[in-house]
Amino acid sequence: MENIKLKATGVIIDEPLPQVPTITSAADQEIINDLLPQKFGKIGKIWVIFLSIICLIGMYAYYRQLRYGLAVTAMRDYVSWGIYISNFVFFVAISLVGSLITAIFRLAGVKWGAPLTRIAEIIALAAIVFASIIIIVDMGSPERFYNLFIHGRIQSPIIWDVIVITTYFFISILLLYYPLLPDIKILLRFKERSGKRLNQFYNFIGSFWIGSPEQFKLSDKAINILCITIVPVAFTIHTVTSWLFATTYRPGWDSTNFGAYFIAGAFLVGAGGVVVAMYVFRKAYRLEKYITENHFEKMGRVLVLLSLLYLYFNINEFLTPFFKMKESEAAYLNGLFTGDFAPVFWFAILIGMILPIVILVFKKGRKPLPVFIVGVMVVVGAWFKRYLIVTPTLLHPFLPMHDVPASYLHYFPSWEEWAITLGSLAGAMLIVTLLARIFPIIPIQETLTEQHEKDV
Amino acid sequence: MKRMYKTVGPALSIIFFLSGYCLAQGPQKGNVSIAVNYFVQNNQIPYVKVVAKTKVDGRFQPVPAIDVDVFLDKDSTGTKIGHLVTNSKGEATTLIPQSLKKEWATSVKHTFLASFAGNNKYEASKGDLTVAKAKVLISTNDKTITATVLDMKDTTWQPVKGVELKIVVKRSTGDLPVNETPTFTTDSTGKASADFKRNNIPGGPSGNITIAAKIEDNDQYGNLSIEKTVPWGAKFIPVNTFTERTLFATRDKTPIWLLFIAYVIVIAVWGILLMLVINIIKIKKLGKAN
Repeated sequence: MENIKLKATGVIIDEPLPQVPTITSAADQEIINDLLPQKFGKIGKIWVIFLSIICLIGMYAYYRQLRYGLAVTAMRDYVSWGIYISNFVFFVAISLVGSLITAIFRLAGVKWGAPLTRIAEIIALAAIVFASIIIIVDMGSPERFYNLFIHGRIQSPIIWDVIVITTYFFISILLLYYPLLPDIKILLRFKERSGKRLNQFYNFIGSFWIGSPEQFKLSDKAINILCITIVPVAFTIHTVTSWLFATTYRPGWDSTNFGAYFIAGAFLVGAGGVVVAMYVFRKAYRLEKYITENHFEKMGRVLVLLSLLYLYFNINEFLTPFFKMKESEAAYLNGLFTGDFAPVFWFAILIGMILPIVILVFKKGRKPLPVFIVGVMVVVGAWFKRYLIVTPTLLHPFLPMHDVPASYLHYFPSWEEWAITLGSLAGAMLIVTLLARIFPIIPIQETLTEQHEKDV
Repeated sequence: MKRMYKTVGPALSIIFFLSGYCLAQGPQKGNVSIAVNYFVQNNQIPYVKVVAKTKVDGRFQPVPAIDVDVFLDKDSTGTKIGHLVTNSKGEATTLIPQSLKKEWATSVKHTFLASFAGNNKYEASKGDLTVAKAKVLISTNDKTITATVLDMKDTTWQPVKGVELKIVVKRSTGDLPVNETPTFTTDSTGKASADFKRNNIPGGPSGNITIAAKIEDNDQYGNLSIEKTVPWGAKFIPVNTFTERTLFATRDKTPIWLLFIAYVIVIAVWGILLMLVINIIKIKKLGKAN
């Protein structure tokens, strides 16, 4: 058998020349029928309308921000990064799931993760799109984004972030597109089910795929290269995001631990997002045969591992400063542990890390519903954790705040900020929903190949 | 009777009111203390500084914006040095004008008279200061500084013994004594010497520093000082990185190593991505060929 030898970044992958599966049996037909994209039902339509309304409210709030300036937000001289930046960090974090499920699992030979790859890639793409949008929203006037290119300095981590987010966005598109090609061929066979417009779209993006061994060879090679490339880029994207904070001398951000701390948190929230999506798609599209309890069991274990890892980094991040309690950081730390931010802080720690560990270490906790609930807890906890990374630090500068208006001393987002933030979250979920309507949420070709391998 | 009440009552009220108004004293005026100081720097034209203060709650406070006339020796129009207005610190200065050169030359001692005529807030006040003409010279030899104090006796300059003075290095924030001795006293030859012990003190790019001899608030001579520039400082060439390639420079001054690393990474990653896009074109061609 001919082997593909791919040598890149020191990794050699031996892989047999792909066998082109032929769809012959009734079993194959059943798999295809199960996995073809389905039209929205009543609940699906309500869900899309609901998300669209939230997006529209967010767009109206953004219109107000464009018209009246950033003054409509609660951000002032001290808290100049509010929930927009918290949300940006959250989106960047969740986008890392694409590299975890698709790339790391694939490179590590984790076969059971195959049905989850499309979900992970779609979430990653939606998240990175809205990470880019929300950072432009934070700039106030969108034309300032253009200034980044004409006046940007390569010495600034902000420019690194722009470069690396653009790169990650492009890789995410390719990583979604390449594995889709064999599925497009299948989708094109079901013109009536897809509808005319969707069929035209499939035709446009993948009619050239005939499924020849040569095409498979090129495609598999490309996917392997992408999997290798996306890992360092994914690590870079979140490390650079952490450096936006860590290169700034402020209480809570002055840490050498930040890159690893952010990446651990990103993998956790990404995995949390995937289990939530797994559960919802499994229920909505009746995919119990493909996303099995075993997947939840395995993802539950992954979540425990990632929760423990993130908890470890959090202990590192807070225990040593708490032990030293430097005067310049005392107000910040006390604010988190026992002060104004304590409810949110302990909520994020308990709901986002400790309870998930407690629930998931038990076998019963790794059933679909508990894993779904834990996934929701992890995602919600993670969002508030990002808020805690940004805001308390800005409210506790090293130099005391003197002679400033009372509104500068506190931060609570305005309705416009909430609307834009919720609109962006709804927008990301809308992209995931629409992509799940357009493309098979579980790779059909891979499932068929796997089935054939089992049969053999 | 009722009519009487009606007329006498208001009349008494008016009288009472007017008497109170007429007999009332105005607000008490404050006292101003006028001090006169005399300065000669580098043996050039002397100048006079007037300082006006008043006591408020037991503490002296400057009196700004008052008019003070300063005279030489006697309070007359012909000997008027100038009309001054104090600033926010209660101070005002004036040079001795050329028109008083003749009067200045007539005596080795002079009295400066400062007169404030008073205003609606302060009582009138006067101050005076008598000084003898004197000068300070400075010379250096092998890092030894010698200050000489001379005063005018008749028409010649004579050395003065027992005058206390400071020998210092001038710095941007104040004066630094040249060694551990804070003050020096002149000997019978009118000289006081000090060894310069502030080695390695930063000077300019040429290592120049300014040393000075100062007589301060002397009862006889006022404030005299003289300066001299000497090359005894450490040469200090400020390092200006503004035009150099640094991490904090402008975009056109990015360090080469950073540009190299950034470009290598960007080209490598985007090169791979470009290759993958070309790969799609190859797949497309394969599909069309079949």
